[in-house]
Amino acid sequence: MAVAIELRDLSVSFPSRAPGGAVAALQQVSLRVEAGTVYGFLGPNGAGKTTAMHVLLGFIPASAGAAYLFGTDVRQSIARQRIGYLSEHPEIYPYLTGRELLLLMGRLFGLGGRALRDRAAELLQHIGLRHAADRRLGTYSRGMLQRIGLAQALINDPDLVILDEPTSGLDPLGRLDIRRIIGGLRARGKTVFFSSHELSEVERVCDHLAILAGGRVVAEGAADRLATPGESLEQYFLRVVNANTSREESP
Amino acid sequence: MNRCLVIARMVWLDLLRRKDLYVLLILLGGLLLALLSLNVFGLGGMVRYVKDAGLLLAWLFSWILAISVASRQLPQEETRRTIYSLLAKPLTRGELLFGKWLGAWSVVCAATSLFYLLIMLVVAARGGRFEPLTLAQTGLLHALGLGMLTALALALSTRATQSAAAALAYVGALASYLIVPQVPVFLAAETGLRANGLLILYYALPHLELFDLRQRAVHDWGPVPGALVAGLVLYSLVWIALLLLLGWLGFRRKRFTRGAAR
Repeated sequence: MAVAIELRDLSVSFPSRAPGGAVAALQQVSLRVEAGTVYGFLGPNGAGKTTAMHVLLGFIPASAGAAYLFGTDVRQSIARQRIGYLSEHPEIYPYLTGRELLLLMGRLFGLGGRALRDRAAELLQHIGLRHAADRRLGTYSRGMLQRIGLAQALINDPDLVILDEPTSGLDPLGRLDIRRIIGGLRARGKTVFFSSHELSEVERVCDHLAILAGGRVVAEGAADRLATPGESLEQYFLRVVNANTSREESP
Repeated sequence: MNRCLVIARMVWLDLLRRKDLYVLLILLGGLLLALLSLNVFGLGGMVRYVKDAGLLLAWLFSWILAISVASRQLPQEETRRTIYSLLAKPLTRGELLFGKWLGAWSVVCAATSLFYLLIMLVVAARGGRFEPLTLAQTGLLHALGLGMLTALALALSTRATQSAAAALAYVGALASYLIVPQVPVFLAAETGLRANGLLILYYALPHLELFDLRQRAVHDWGPVPGALVAGLVLYSLVWIALLLLLGWLGFRRKRFTRGAAR
């Protein structure tokens, strides 16, 4: 099976004034995400989830190791041709309308003409924003911004969708919409890689999971096989994270 | 190149849907009308006076617009966190920077053309006219100077906040326009190492004053030789390329922190 994401001994450190001179955000993280899976990327705040995603997207360079998207080094812009990304805070251009945003983002992928206009209209219909397509984004609610953010991530019909906390700040109906969209992507054989704090959401949609704590992968495997029998994902998550955090904090 | 044009188009949409440009246009029109109606010492009736005041205001407003538009492009993307949506596309940082410059420069040039049009209308209303070729050269060199200015503000904004980049760009532009041309005057009183240092400074810094043909347009002195204009086009292109290169060096490996959640 094709590999959508591969991280090889990835380390990232940020400069710091603290003794030692650098803070390690990721330490030798290795991961393989096979194409066609819905992969959950879990961890407490500050575990390094967003940093790992930012390396994958080429926003920040790795201090050591390597990252690949469909076999292409993430340092090459062409690696992002087949992906879509929704950031944790989709603060989108207030002066553009929803439709304009989708058309402009589509053009950055080299799309254009009638095909792009049809794709934008289809997505606006799909995410339930057809009625607000020609309104400025500055007038959208948080939930609407999250949905238009998701639509712009899907404008190129990507093979891999990277979602950073996609349900954060959404009401139950908004979460249901996101779950429905992820389900639709899975049914079409797309790969979804997403981080979340909502363990119940993750449990419902993911095939595979990785848990990150202190910049390291502390657990990884099939979603239904990680926890011991009778243990919920939340209990398992707390057990694994606490074990690794307390080990690091002990002298 | 296509991706650069998309970024440039976004800069246009941003400016057209803000109030800045319209405020400057209304202000320019209002000031021109006020100058005409004041008629101090009978100057309101003099076409040259109207031309001079109009072109000075056009220069002033176009500089304000160029620096404010160019210096906010990248910091604004960062504070709004929209930089992540853009860079998650198959877009290089170089393309983003060039697209931003292209958008900022072209939109400021378009706005400056409107300023010129307004001045031409006011001058025509006073029964005067500009010599067409001289005015075309004045406009062309003005546009090239704006290209350097937008590149300077954009390059500074890759490393500084929006307000710091704008402030530094104003200082740099005014120094280039007012102080650098005076260096030969200081040079006359210096010798040795200090004189050599001043000479290097004189040739190493950009000369925005070279792009100012306003007096020729005001007093109908006629156009400058084509070879000189060609030389200035080349000079400005070299400076724009250099400033954009410096901007790219500051931007290509930048880690975004302003407004970003880690």
